[in-house]
Amino acid sequence: MSRDTLRVRLLQIVSVVALLAIWEGVARLGWVDPLFVPAPSAVVGAFGRIGRSALAGLGDTLLKTAVAYVLSVVLGVALGVAIGSVRALREVLSPFVIAVYGMPKILVLPWIVLILGFGTAPAIVYGTIHGLFPILVLVMGGVRDVDRTLVTVARAFGASTWQLYWKVLLPAIVPTVLAGMRLGIVFCLLGVLIVEMFAGVRGMGYVMGSLANGFQAPELFAATALVSAASIAIVLGLDALNDRLSHWRG
Amino acid sequence: MRVRLLRAAILAVFLLAWEGVARAANPLLYVPPSAVLPALRRLLALDSYPDLLPSVLLTLREIAVAYALAIAAGLGCGFALGLNRVIGRAYAPIVGALYAVPAVVWYPSLMLFFGLDAASKIAFGFLLGFFPITLAVLAGIRQVNPHMLAVARAFGARPLTVFVKVMIPAMMFTLVGGLRTGLALSVIGVIVGEILGSKAGMGALINHAYGLFRTADYVALVVVTLVLIVGSDAVAGLVERRAERWSD
Repeated sequence: MSRDTLRVRLLQIVSVVALLAIWEGVARLGWVDPLFVPAPSAVVGAFGRIGRSALAGLGDTLLKTAVAYVLSVVLGVALGVAIGSVRALREVLSPFVIAVYGMPKILVLPWIVLILGFGTAPAIVYGTIHGLFPILVLVMGGVRDVDRTLVTVARAFGASTWQLYWKVLLPAIVPTVLAGMRLGIVFCLLGVLIVEMFAGVRGMGYVMGSLANGFQAPELFAATALVSAASIAIVLGLDALNDRLSHWRG
Repeated sequence: MRVRLLRAAILAVFLLAWEGVARAANPLLYVPPSAVLPALRRLLALDSYPDLLPSVLLTLREIAVAYALAIAAGLGCGFALGLNRVIGRAYAPIVGALYAVPAVVWYPSLMLFFGLDAASKIAFGFLLGFFPITLAVLAGIRQVNPHMLAVARAFGARPLTVFVKVMIPAMMFTLVGGLRTGLALSVIGVIVGEILGSKAGMGALINHAYGLFRTADYVALVVVTLVLIVGSDAVAGLVERRAERWSD
């Protein structure tokens, strides 16, 4: 570790500790209302109290997110390859895709809940809608930008359409798909949490919403920390996987 | 030309199919497009929601305040992190990690802290807009060619001159893109906040219509909100093009 890295690590640790200490001090001195901003020590204590129900809620949320994520990736890559590789489809459909991609999905959430009711189904559908479009747009662009010479050469050597897709196009867009997968997971989790807050009966979003409504600030902060840690861990895991895969591709 | 026609045809077929399915299945639930126009007319004539105008203005005001705060804090943090190497290496990973958290996890805490009124929406819109602006500043600073800075300094330019005359134009493209993304996200933050719980604003009207099963009014309100969003993005797009021309 160079001296610079050491200084950076030191600065990180010192500032996190200082922040927690100031926060604790301010809360203890009563400068902020502990009803709204609990001291870190109170939050640590709250982990024990919400432990079981929060972990169950987190498991529920992550399960829905996983289903929504698989759906988004499969649909996003399939549609992206289909629309991106056929010129007529791309020219006609891409404005629609971009328009829906740019539209805040929250506006259709009440409608989804009206049709699908409360519970798991709207969370999965909304999570999928959230994750699908970033992946779709990225993959569409990735397919469009595949080097033309690769396709021409493969054709010239007599590759069938199937081979063209399977052996040329798909390997060429692997980095784009990985980037989309990295982006999609956060959107899926976001979508699922929003539905749980809006119309949930289970899951972490619901747990956090009811803790906020019950003015249980320490428990709410603990739950927030738990979800944040889980999502940071998932993203870092995907990043590590991404690094390893790109390493393997050369 | 043929592409345009095809697009229009697809849109028409989609709307017709929707109309047919909605009428056959459940017009109240699936809202046929033909029901939206009358509802839109009633909405714009202030029949169905007399307080449409104050609601639009409140939402726009929340967006404006949230975005202004996001710009100020985002530029401040971005330059503080980008211009000092040690600070940047220490805190930029933390900002990046926080960006990986779906922002809505902060919303219950913000609602608890700021209450159900405009403040919690502004705080959430600020939070969403803050990150892309900060990250765009960081990315922009990395793009500035260090040789240009060295040359400017060698010719005796003072730090402020270097900053205004060399750095800002060199990073303009990324910066303006980040500001535009920030606006889009501030808008989404305010609207998400309003729909997740509010007493006034477009989100409150949408929730009201949805709660009372006034589905046609709900769709009309969504259309008006979309017009607001698309309008704000169009204005941002104009500003973006201006800024890019200026930096060229």
